[in-house]
Amino acid sequence: MRLTNIALQNIRRRKMRSALLMLSVIIGVASIIFLYSTTQAMQEDVANKLDQFGSNILILPDSGQSLTFGGITVEAPTQIKELDMSLIPLMQTIKNKETLATIAPKLLANTNLKGREILLLGVDFSQEFKLKKWWKVDGLSKNQLPSAGEVILGSDVALALGLSPNQTVTIKGQDFKVAGIIQSTGSSENDQAVFMDLTVLQKLTKRPNAISLIETAALCYTCPIEEITQQLSAKLPGTKVTALMSTLESRDDTVSKFNLFARSVSLILFLASGLVITMTMKSSVEERTREIGILRAIGFRKRHIIQIVLAEAGWLSLLGGLLGYILGMGMAVSFGSDLMKAQVHIPWQPDLLMYALSASLIIGLTASFYPAWKGSRLDPTESLRYL
Amino acid sequence: MSLIKVVEVSKSYEGGDGVVQALTNINLEINEGEFLALMGPSGSGKSTLLSILGGLNSPTTGKLIIDGIDVYALASERLADFRHEYVGFVFQQYQLIPYLTALENVMLPLAITSRTGREQRDMAQTVLDKVGLGSKSLRLPNQLSGGEQNRVAIARAIVNRPSLIFADEPTGSLDSKTAKELLELFQALNQDGLTIIMVTHNRENLEWVSRAVYIRDGVLSQIPQ
Repeated sequence: MRLTNIALQNIRRRKMRSALLMLSVIIGVASIIFLYSTTQAMQEDVANKLDQFGSNILILPDSGQSLTFGGITVEAPTQIKELDMSLIPLMQTIKNKETLATIAPKLLANTNLKGREILLLGVDFSQEFKLKKWWKVDGLSKNQLPSAGEVILGSDVALALGLSPNQTVTIKGQDFKVAGIIQSTGSSENDQAVFMDLTVLQKLTKRPNAISLIETAALCYTCPIEEITQQLSAKLPGTKVTALMSTLESRDDTVSKFNLFARSVSLILFLASGLVITMTMKSSVEERTREIGILRAIGFRKRHIIQIVLAEAGWLSLLGGLLGYILGMGMAVSFGSDLMKAQVHIPWQPDLLMYALSASLIIGLTASFYPAWKGSRLDPTESLRYL
Repeated sequence: MSLIKVVEVSKSYEGGDGVVQALTNINLEINEGEFLALMGPSGSGKSTLLSILGGLNSPTTGKLIIDGIDVYALASERLADFRHEYVGFVFQQYQLIPYLTALENVMLPLAITSRTGREQRDMAQTVLDKVGLGSKSLRLPNQLSGGEQNRVAIARAIVNRPSLIFADEPTGSLDSKTAKELLELFQALNQDGLTIIMVTHNRENLEWVSRAVYIRDGVLSQIPQ
């Protein structure tokens, strides 16, 4: 018989108390694993959604000047070095092509309407609406896209030209129906522009296949933006690929706040589990005062008592950690994504098992050390109520 | 030859009504191979003296010398080693560990030795056979009668081959037949060379011992044979 056998026999024969102690470890570990896995998935989901909320990569001609659009200016078309539509399929050949969630090419032109210089933007409406999720367009129903003969107007343009939905506007000699008016966004490139189908503007301006820039939303959570921009630069000669750092910083800020919250909750759970184990072990040691007295009386040293209590806590913590991992991971994989309404799949993460076992062992041993130490210092005579 | 020497031992402790003087200036010598009875009424201090003799309870003043060792001059962990090496206890309520079998209870003192599991098991089984419980070694304490539990406690006390056995009222809760069997066992162990000190308040037990001392109000006196 070894000291660990005494601990194991105690676990085996005092099933209810052992189960209670293990349960506290299981609940603690399962909660932390579940929370960690789901918040990781949520972080990825939130990051992806933020990445899709507006562009984070801008592709421009290598040199060019002009009309203002989000810090880009366009002058006479002849002076501008332009991109062309052949770049779009090339973008789909980069290594991390699956991270490119939205590719929104744009052609910029200017025109004169009622004596005002107006910015014309040729866009792929399906991509544009994915990119500008904050747009509220009066006159268009949900998921409705303007047709080739329709335009949508920025709120300032509509106001200045006195136009409303379903009215007609003539642009470069061609009549277009106003399909909708974008509610004020606060940004000049949206409020002061006229949006029309990209191919229609290419024909109107006699610049077939031409595009001025490409706005891209890349999902950067799993792949750093620097890598994506490098891969795009390599594939798109004659272009300048720029990461919009302000968008990224804002995204990173949100994600890191989320991360901090998840870690704080995990820490609280960790401490709560530790407290529960401490209390359970303390009551277990107190319950065994007489037994400790017997062991001390027959010559067990203090360290022998500590070893027995810690061995018991260690075994239960390890087993609790394993079951907690299976329970927490199982719950996360089964319904974590649905619960959090996240669109990211949560996979089984075997690497977390080592962390779960180590953490449960550390928490179990740490929480049990004080009761073990206190138990070892019991006076054998007092313990046996000898006097 | 004197194995135990108690020199001017007194013990007092804080009680609800102030300081209680449990033992006063006890002087006693116990020879190797003696079977000594500590007699006295309840609350006389006999169990306190037994716990002091067993290295469990340090005296307020005085010395305990066993086999030339000043027991209470030892550091706490050395004192534990001393108990392990020299002393076997048979407690009043047997004090078996409820979740261990009879065999495992007997193996307990061997768990902190370097003996292999098989050696421990063989030694424990041998002493259980000796106390007549060889066939019940795998039973838990609650599956044994009071007398049988007492025998397990004796087996546990002797398994490590100590020089001394301290027994506190071992027959207190037994019927006369079981008590007699137990005293016969103690006598057999004593004849094997073990020194036994037994606390009892039953005068009938005196016929089994080689010497008896009497304590009343913490003061010791010899009982003539």
